[in-house]
Amino acid sequence: MGKSSKDKRDLYYRKAKEQGYRARSAFKLLQLNEEFHFLDDPNLKRVVDLCAAPGSWSQVLSRKLFDKDDYTDRQIVAVDLQAMMPIDHVTTLQADITHPRTLHQILELFGNHRADFVCSDGAPDVTGLHDLDEYVQQQLIMSALQLTVCILKRGGTFVAKIFRGRDIDLIYAQLGYLFDQVTCAKPRSSRGSSLEAFVVCQGYNPPEGWQPSLDTNSSVVEFFQDCPVGSNENRTIAPFMACGSLESFDSDATYHVEPSATSLDPVQGPTNPPYKRALELKRSGRLTRAV
Amino acid sequence: MHSVSHYGPALSVKFLDRFVYAGYGPFLHVYEYATGKLANKCLIFNKNKVHGVRIGDNGLILCYGSRSVNLTSIQDVHEKSSIVESEKHTSEWIISGEFNSDCSQFYLLTCYDRVLTCDLECHVVKKSAVYGERSILYSGSIKVVSEDKVFINAGTVMGGIIVWELFSETLVANLLGHSGSIFYVEMNRDGSLIASCSDDRSVRLWDLKSQKELSVGWAHTARIWHLLFYNNDTRLISVSEDCTCRVWDIQSGKLLQSAIHEVHLTKNVWCVDVNEKDQLAITSGNDGRLRLISLTEQESLQRNFTIKQISDDSKVPFAKQEIIKGFHWFSFGLVAITSEGKILQYGNQWKFLMQNPQFKSYSMTNGISKDNIVIFSNNKCNLLILKFNSEGSEIVASRELHVDTLTKSQNCMVCRHHDRNEFFVTLESPNPHDPFMCLKFDTDSLNLRGQFGLKKPESFASSCLEIYESFLLVGSRFSVIAIFDLNNTSQESLVSRRLTPGDTTTSIHLVEFSIGGPVFVVTNRDGYYNFIRLKLGNPIEELEIIHSNRTARGFLEGAYYDNNGDLITYGFKSELFYIYNETQCYEKAVRVCGGAHRQWELARTPEGFMLVFIRASDLHFTRVIEPKVPEVLQCGTHGREIRDIALLKDFKYKNGHLFCTASEDTTIKLCHVHESTGQVTTFWTLRKHVSGLQRCKFLSSKLMISSSAREELFLWELTTDCNTKPYIKFRQALPISGNNPDLRITDFSVKFEGSNFILAAVYSDSAVKLWRYNHLQNRFQLAVEGHYKTCCILNASLFEFKNQSYLMLSATDGHLSLYNLTNTMNGGTVCPLPSVESSIQIHQSSIKAMNISVDDQNDAVRVYTGGDDNALAICAFHWESQTKRLLPHLKDVQRSAASSTITSSELINDDKQLVTASVDQIVRIWDTENDKLVLQEQKYTTVADTGSLDAVSNLLLIGGVGLSVWKTEHH
Repeated sequence: MGKSSKDKRDLYYRKAKEQGYRARSAFKLLQLNEEFHFLDDPNLKRVVDLCAAPGSWSQVLSRKLFDKDDYTDRQIVAVDLQAMMPIDHVTTLQADITHPRTLHQILELFGNHRADFVCSDGAPDVTGLHDLDEYVQQQLIMSALQLTVCILKRGGTFVAKIFRGRDIDLIYAQLGYLFDQVTCAKPRSSRGSSLEAFVVCQGYNPPEGWQPSLDTNSSVVEFFQDCPVGSNENRTIAPFMACGSLESFDSDATYHVEPSATSLDPVQGPTNPPYKRALELKRSGRLTRAV
Repeated sequence: MHSVSHYGPALSVKFLDRFVYAGYGPFLHVYEYATGKLANKCLIFNKNKVHGVRIGDNGLILCYGSRSVNLTSIQDVHEKSSIVESEKHTSEWIISGEFNSDCSQFYLLTCYDRVLTCDLECHVVKKSAVYGERSILYSGSIKVVSEDKVFINAGTVMGGIIVWELFSETLVANLLGHSGSIFYVEMNRDGSLIASCSDDRSVRLWDLKSQKELSVGWAHTARIWHLLFYNNDTRLISVSEDCTCRVWDIQSGKLLQSAIHEVHLTKNVWCVDVNEKDQLAITSGNDGRLRLISLTEQESLQRNFTIKQISDDSKVPFAKQEIIKGFHWFSFGLVAITSEGKILQYGNQWKFLMQNPQFKSYSMTNGISKDNIVIFSNNKCNLLILKFNSEGSEIVASRELHVDTLTKSQNCMVCRHHDRNEFFVTLESPNPHDPFMCLKFDTDSLNLRGQFGLKKPESFASSCLEIYESFLLVGSRFSVIAIFDLNNTSQESLVSRRLTPGDTTTSIHLVEFSIGGPVFVVTNRDGYYNFIRLKLGNPIEELEIIHSNRTARGFLEGAYYDNNGDLITYGFKSELFYIYNETQCYEKAVRVCGGAHRQWELARTPEGFMLVFIRASDLHFTRVIEPKVPEVLQCGTHGREIRDIALLKDFKYKNGHLFCTASEDTTIKLCHVHESTGQVTTFWTLRKHVSGLQRCKFLSSKLMISSSAREELFLWELTTDCNTKPYIKFRQALPISGNNPDLRITDFSVKFEGSNFILAAVYSDSAVKLWRYNHLQNRFQLAVEGHYKTCCILNASLFEFKNQSYLMLSATDGHLSLYNLTNTMNGGTVCPLPSVESSIQIHQSSIKAMNISVDDQNDAVRVYTGGDDNALAICAFHWESQTKRLLPHLKDVQRSAASSTITSSELINDDKQLVTASVDQIVRIWDTENDKLVLQEQKYTTVADTGSLDAVSNLLLIGGVGLSVWKTEHH
């Protein structure tokens, strides 16, 4: 499908290009903020964006935190294993979020102050095995949470992408031990047909006396073993919150864009997928059924 | 509620002795593979799927999946229906498991690259890892080389393959070269070679000692999920998301692809195992199919001859440019004719029979295998008929004939009568004024028994033939069929035009007799096939299409029912000749032949098939051997999500019910569920839609509607009075408004007016359209058109109340909205949609499930809704007699009725209960009495992406990634 047909199908995709966002997911964070206003807090100073590439959430953070250019005490750090194109007011770190070194780098950048807000829009390679995909997504959230509990200030906020599959109530229960308020939020820009939603955890409130520390030799499960988070089989259902007003675009709806509407080039060119060479071979007819 | 049967992703398979052990959802299925008999079905885990199976020499079987593990005896899985009481859990996802060298312990590799060594009581006795290494794994394997050498091969997300030694916990190698996550890694027997695959879609072979990449195999067109060395590490087998299983030869460290088998439906083949003794592979896929394939070399089944070889072998000199013009295969071998009119025979060697100069340059060859008769014809209306004895050693009868009623003959076809010892030869002249000639012969004496000059219909060019009693069915180009009554040749033929989009009719074949008349399968080169039924009379009254469908791709040349009643089709696609089981949707065989434009013949033989074809003037013979073992052990269902299920509730069909499943894979399956065993049988896979399905519903005992994106809404008609199976044909499509590929018809509802009906269709662009359908004219006509808002509408229901006509809608905005359409539809003009009579917001976002119960006595209409917001609600619309309006009142709402989206619901037990399905994979039954939702029962389902359900009497069908049949208890 061409560029223009995708414009037609997806108004958020078009709007993202118009507004210079690298991905349509920018609107997910904006709509979450419409409901929770976590980015409108004047005291919000230090912000971390995990699994940040290609950077659309960092772009939102940059525009929100630096709506006036004269803030000197505000800082945004974006971390990803992949390299990212630079974004104004954002310090990008190409690093592994599970490595203690990354933690120290962030704290160093923050002058050993703790973060006010940590978010993660990361998602793994989806295999099609639902149980595995949901598990790996949970591990990604728990890895982000590991880092988060080491750098987030008491009372801070953590936002992460989730897949609302069969064991999502376990995650809600685990997060409930660390935060005062856990909400399952679904922005209208996230398709209703997708399992995707976001967990918004407000009021970081770790158990008294728990001293989390990152260690390359311990797994996520071991990391949380002294805290009630890791082991418990309790299940709770977090309250649901639809985000973005009913007047905003409906990502499930079909909109008819005028044929005259010009198609826009994407803000960032296509990425280099691992299967690029296989695609080239297929296109040149070299992967055929005849042996 | 309890489960009676399940079809869905099968993640693991293992051969042992006479059996195949298959991880099938949370079950282990045990099959005796030689017979296909399901020996036992044993529940292994409460919830988790069986991702892996390992069998020890000590009679123990290890099953693992997710964070569950269960160790038991092979005897138990053969005899018990459940062993869940011995299920154990680990704290991390299990990637792989293996017994140690003397089977006194087993190892589990977790997704954090740790190995748990467990004793046979499943106690962890040791944890091993490489210090400083903690990558998350998508794959990995454990290789027990000897009692003191165990390798761990870990497939990481970012860091390639990490090989480490278990006992010393030391890193042996980090193999870098792949891009993306490693999806499988396997080591050979002695631990010298490693095979791997990744997101880059290549297979790579590595030498462990040198840590060098030996070879890269490019062939798969999607991700590869499993690899296996076999035949003493000389071969590798791989299975992939691209639905194929491929065999690789390993020759001096190089990977060479040697065979491709398309084994599963879109998409994902998850696992493969090989039985070296019988050279069989078994594959398991997301479609729940278990497919057995033969790995035997095909080369021995093929022979080819050049013209020179034929000439040398038969000891007759060939002229320059002399070529084979035609041939027919008999049980004794081949009879062929050359462009010089030389007639040759091939058994074990070539033999010259005769030369007839009349058949020089132009000839056609036909044959009747059963009677060993070959018929040659030329363009000058000459026929040469030879009859051989059954050994082919002697010509026992021959006849030469000139047909003088024709000026020229360009086509000759032959067909044997099914009941009488007669065969028919037709000759067609290019002159439109010449009759279409049919000659009747005796199969023993070859005596001419009759000659019929038939009136040729317009635009007719014969292409295939069938005879039934006195009726001659002639297929033609342009998708035309003509039926002549040979007892009444003065009668005009019955002509049916444009059965399919329109290419050459390639075959007509009698398949069964029904009360309504004989049934024939008709194939067309354009890939479409139909089943037609003849209503016989004098003259023939009618040709009725009872089934219409198209094959997956390519040219379709013929079709027949096999001994199991499965429809087998054959034809060409690109360079290949294929034989396909259309009922079960799998390839039986493919052969590279160069494409459709060539001389070819497919003959049925006692052992299978013989394909004879000419390629680059060489004559090729390829035998296709029907396997001694079943081709599938389990049929399965769609390979992708089932989006809707429609049970035909009006009547029972053969101890159960008919139902349709509509899937993301763009197909609809017409199936049957047995009411006591829950066994599901698929009859047809309908391929008319080109986008993922949204909905399907039966309107009556004969009509079904399905809808999808691209504004596709199709009306289907069911025929259930034939003996073998039900048939279903496409009847009409709803007119479309444009060419927006994303415009989905998300739901529809129907109200009958006699045999006609009103259809309400709702769209993803918020459009609401009402159509009148006239059955006799087979026409949809737009009656009402309008828009709800701009959001996507998700559900629609037409109902009558107090002599008023209503339409209830639900949408992504969480509202229920009601339209009164009573005075809207009048005359022939298109009326605007009236304004909403009443509306209420019940959910925060999408209302995915909606059921309506009209309670005339109590002046109320109840609407049960389930949403993306996890909520379930009852809303009653009460009749306000003063204003004569239905006004909504929210009666009850359960805000956390599920921990994830409620996708589907059905009212059961006379609307006293509501059953819901949700993405948290829990099916719940709610009591709805007194307008209160009270949870009665809940049960976990292994069907992921749970998106659809339907119920009839006490049967419950649950669809998503897979299909489950449950029974509910009446309360």
